[in-house]
Amino acid sequence: MLITCPYCGPRDVIEFTYQGDGNRERPQPASQDLDAWNAYVYDRLNPAGDHNEIWQHSGGCRAHLRVVRNTITHEILSTAFARGGHKSADNRAEGRS
Amino acid sequence: MAEPHLPERQSPLEPEYHPGSHGNFEHGVDVILSETRPGSILQLAAWPGEEKRLIEVIRKVTGLALPDGAGGGVNSGARAVFGFAPGKFTVVDEAEGLAQAFAGSITPAIGTLTDLSHGRTAIRIAGPKAEWVMAKFFAIDFALPAFPLGAGRSTNHHDIFAQIQRSGADQFDIYVFRSFARSFWKALCHASEEVGYEVQ
Amino acid sequence: MSPRRTETGGRIDRLRTIRFTFDGAAYTGHAGDTLASALLASGVTLFGRSFKYHRPRGLLSAGVEEPNALVTVLRGEVREPNIPATMVEIYDGLVAVSQNRTPSLAWDIGAINQLGGKILSAGFYYKTFMGPVIGPLKGTRFWMFCEHFIRRAAGLGKAGTAPDPARYGRMNAFCDVLVVGSGPAGLMAAKAAADQGARVILADLEANLGGSANWSGETIDGMPAADWAQRMAAQLAGNDNVRLLPRTTVWGYYDGNTLAALERVTDHKEVAATGEPRQRYWAIRAGTVVLATGSFERPLVFPGNDRPGVMLAHAAERYANEYGVLPGQRIALFTNNDSAYRSAVALKKAGAAVVAIIDVRGDISNEMRRLTSDAGAELLAGHAVVATEGGKALTGLKVQRFDAMSGSLSGDERSIHADNLLMSGGWSPTIHLASQAGAKAEWDPARQAFLPPKPTQRWIGAGAFTGSFSTAEAIAEGRAAGLQAAGGAVSSGPLPVVEAAPGDPNPAPVFEIKAKGKSFVDFQHDVTAEDVRLAHREGFVSVEHLKRYTTLGMATDQGKNSNVPGLAIMAEALGKPIPEVGTTRFRPPYTAVSIGSLAAERFGDLKPERLTPMHDWHIANGARMYSAGLWYRPMIYGLPGETVEQAYVREARATRESAGIVDVSTLGKIAVQGPDAAEFLDRVYTNMFSTLAVGKARYGLMLREDGLAFDDGTTWRLGEQDFLMTTTTANAGKVMQHLEYFLDVIWPELKVTVTSVTDEWAGAAIGGPKARAILASCVTGTAVDNATLPFMGIVHGRIAGVPVMICRLSFSGEMAFEVYSGAGYGTRVWEALIEAGKPFGLVTYGLEALGTMRIEKGHVTGAEIDGRTTARDLHLDWMLSKKKPFIGSAMMDREGLIASDRLQLVGVVALDNRPLNGGGHIVEELDEANPHDSLGHITACCYSPALGKYIALALVKGGKARHGTRAFVSDPLRNRFGPVEIVSNHFYDPDGSRMHG
Repeated sequence: MLITCPYCGPRDVIEFTYQGDGNRERPQPASQDLDAWNAYVYDRLNPAGDHNEIWQHSGGCRAHLRVVRNTITHEILSTAFARGGHKSADNRAEGRS
Repeated sequence: MAEPHLPERQSPLEPEYHPGSHGNFEHGVDVILSETRPGSILQLAAWPGEEKRLIEVIRKVTGLALPDGAGGGVNSGARAVFGFAPGKFTVVDEAEGLAQAFAGSITPAIGTLTDLSHGRTAIRIAGPKAEWVMAKFFAIDFALPAFPLGAGRSTNHHDIFAQIQRSGADQFDIYVFRSFARSFWKALCHASEEVGYEVQ
Repeated sequence: MSPRRTETGGRIDRLRTIRFTFDGAAYTGHAGDTLASALLASGVTLFGRSFKYHRPRGLLSAGVEEPNALVTVLRGEVREPNIPATMVEIYDGLVAVSQNRTPSLAWDIGAINQLGGKILSAGFYYKTFMGPVIGPLKGTRFWMFCEHFIRRAAGLGKAGTAPDPARYGRMNAFCDVLVVGSGPAGLMAAKAAADQGARVILADLEANLGGSANWSGETIDGMPAADWAQRMAAQLAGNDNVRLLPRTTVWGYYDGNTLAALERVTDHKEVAATGEPRQRYWAIRAGTVVLATGSFERPLVFPGNDRPGVMLAHAAERYANEYGVLPGQRIALFTNNDSAYRSAVALKKAGAAVVAIIDVRGDISNEMRRLTSDAGAELLAGHAVVATEGGKALTGLKVQRFDAMSGSLSGDERSIHADNLLMSGGWSPTIHLASQAGAKAEWDPARQAFLPPKPTQRWIGAGAFTGSFSTAEAIAEGRAAGLQAAGGAVSSGPLPVVEAAPGDPNPAPVFEIKAKGKSFVDFQHDVTAEDVRLAHREGFVSVEHLKRYTTLGMATDQGKNSNVPGLAIMAEALGKPIPEVGTTRFRPPYTAVSIGSLAAERFGDLKPERLTPMHDWHIANGARMYSAGLWYRPMIYGLPGETVEQAYVREARATRESAGIVDVSTLGKIAVQGPDAAEFLDRVYTNMFSTLAVGKARYGLMLREDGLAFDDGTTWRLGEQDFLMTTTTANAGKVMQHLEYFLDVIWPELKVTVTSVTDEWAGAAIGGPKARAILASCVTGTAVDNATLPFMGIVHGRIAGVPVMICRLSFSGEMAFEVYSGAGYGTRVWEALIEAGKPFGLVTYGLEALGTMRIEKGHVTGAEIDGRTTARDLHLDWMLSKKKPFIGSAMMDREGLIASDRLQLVGVVALDNRPLNGGGHIVEELDEANPHDSLGHITACCYSPALGKYIALALVKGGKARHGTRAFVSDPLRNRFGPVEIVSNHFYDPDGSRMHG
């Protein structure tokens, strides 16, 4: 499986680390809403189909990426930096693989 | 300026560094391996949106003009710079003391400077079979069109993280963590036996 | 002269004779021979014994699909079993042996299994050995009794036990176009793509590129096809943008057009050159793949079809044309299609007598009748072979009238004298890689074959792979595929002209001749047509179940020969058409892959070694090292005759009495820099860091999001926006990833850079009552007195002329300092400290003494921060700030995490003065026979020189409330039982007066 890092280009999946479900939303730091925290820490979507995921290019530029992956076909539909702002200058951002 | 009279640094490769020809070299050596031992290896990082200003600072201090694009870089022999991650650059100088030269110009508004002169070991592989040997370790495309002169790449060989700059048509500079350097060096020598190699 | 070698012809080098042995007997062959062709030329007909019944078997094929002639190749002590003799290139000194026979091929005791054929039918193992024990000869226990004998009797070759000294290589390759298969289609595709400027890799599992051109006897562009192929290959080899990979099997097709291939680099050589790998694993990432993998000829299923001398028709043609070997003198052919007629003519040309062509079809075209007479053969149209005769070699066969529509036999049997029977049951495209790539094959009723599916990845098919069996089609499709793969325009230019025998590519839909006797579907696993029907009668309707129940298409065969005939018989039994029965999906690997090749470029224990800057000093000074993760660290610096315990006790005692020094370079170190660095640390740590003064350090604790403890360490404020965080050695990578995650994903607005600087700094911790005096004697540029360097203070100075950073902090509980220098100066500073320490009795100490002193102090490490404990469990709740939220703060007070019966950190003292063990349980009541009701467990233990007792840290229910009470250690695994006292984890100097000085 290849993942197209917006900075490094397509790389083997072995260079990446799965960093969890990308649909989770972290409550405000001071929030005391335990249900919201429970949902954030423990609840995971498990769709058969397109899934928002966080991957880190840990064996490369180390950027975290937002990846849309089809869990049935393994097709990577899109990748983007998780941390906005940085745009790679050679139009690799938002790359499709 | 560099601090004067600092003693020579110890190489992590020392007991495994054997100058001379090795491996299958009866018909000549196809790669040359060396430790380049630069005096300064810095990591410069720009906050999002400040990359252009950082690139300008790099140009002013080192005289090296970074080309556009992810992983772009330039190598003048004595000095080298390349992008290895979004907003992040490795800057290398033969001489010690480059951090001091940058000290005033990397302001908190632009980004940060981290001195890695001791923490990274620079290994050079050169020769007609350099791409062949590198491809044994790293799953990236080393062909010239895919990996242009001066460009940088971040990748890894199993547990060993590496930044690689193409410093010549058939020459690569590999920056590895110092603690892994000897292990990587041994593996590199082993992998070079097939083509014949010389350690300089 | 070899009995079966032709006078002329073939593509072997008759001037070069090669000597080898097979089953201990000496043979010769020529350069270009395979083990199969050389043995066949020498008159060998018997190559192996079958898997289950130990029936004598000869060569079925001439290529990779060979199911019978599996051999073991010996190199010194190393055995490589299960290699098809057809794929072994001979070299001087080759030693090969046959398999699955005792004591010899010709006289095999296991052949007695043939008499028990009924018992050994499909599902024999399941029926006999699974389920409840009923009677003495059934069930799992019976299996355990019989296993040894069965494993010896049934099976393939024996693996060796000697370590494999061979080198294996790995290569990562990238190309625009990967062409798999180098027959006419593959050669054309590679040439067309290369001419477009594409980067091309052409891989073929055979030694010689050219595929069928090497033996088809056809003419291309006016020259023998083999010469044409050689010329094409030479042209390609001259291109800079083409890499030719002969002897390279592409065995896996994975996501993202990533393919795995195995190159046999030196298997055909007597000796490998220096550094040359035996085999090389290629990981190829291709823009587009051209699949030109050709097709396999199918056997026909009829009684006695496995007798030595019964062979695939094209294989005989190949032996004659490529190797100059005739597999027989009197040859008969049995076919359901036209391709066998070409084979007949080729064998006649090569000098054999072709006695008959037996064709299941009643209606034979004039062209085939003409080829029959060219071959000088009798045509028996509308006939089928119903039996074969002979023992270890074929002597004859019997035919009967056959109706292809009904499958019925009629009339009298007629005997034909022949020493070689060639069969052709039609052709199956080699669709393995396309199937692996993800889509389902489609049944083509005209070709009676599964054709490649619509691509789901970027591949293009060409030639016989697509069901286009003629060379002219292969050439046209190859060029088109190559052009398309390289992004070139469609070409209507002239193509090489092929002169070939005519033939209809469609066979008659006949797979099996039902007559009395064993008819084999899968030769390798001894699966007969009757086994398939039995499986059906017993209720197996899915092809996947059929495969597993009968073992059809398993092992190295992987359906290469058996797939379609097996399905056809199953379909008939089910009364369904073949497409409704479907086919199994092919999985990697296509052929056997050596484990060595998969582990290539990794050495020793397969992990890199991580060494500290002072590593060589430790070795030179008698340290016994051990691995901590990837790191190597001194365990003890033992003196001659010392035990490990004696050494660490001496080291720890000396440290507490005078001073000791330890290498702490492995501690994780992360530079945290930027305007928001302090704010970030406040969020990451449970305690405050924004209030820390520049030039001071603070001990910090991190939690996970779920509120459990994660890691601890000191963080030093080197500048307003510049922190040096230290982590435990083991967690350095995890903490780094944790910080990066929060900066990238959760708080992207924070301006903070985190960088691993573990390797930038060499660290030496020097502690003990004399530590300060030692430092004072060797540090320049700064004082180290209490005023200048208070507890948790940081100063900068020089030792041995190089800059150092010194922080006063303590893990040992003594007055202690961590001295950091650039890693390249690590040994220099270390040696200067050792030298300065000599007058003070300074000792070096290793991890054992380090652990001992930390246990005495009750400090926690990864053994206690084990992913299940909270800050409270470890008595670190004083570090939980109430002034700010931090990672884990919202979740850490959940009911279960503050319950009073949680395991808490305590100290344990052995009352019987015997060593304790990590993992030993703490119980209230000792019951050696039936240990029960654990209160918790020991996490770390040592002999404490400070206390003169065996002590331990433990996680125990109730924790503090049990201080001062008695309990027992219960460790049945190591048979260690005895009384203990539970005490505070702070065994030694609980108020810290020693380190505060």
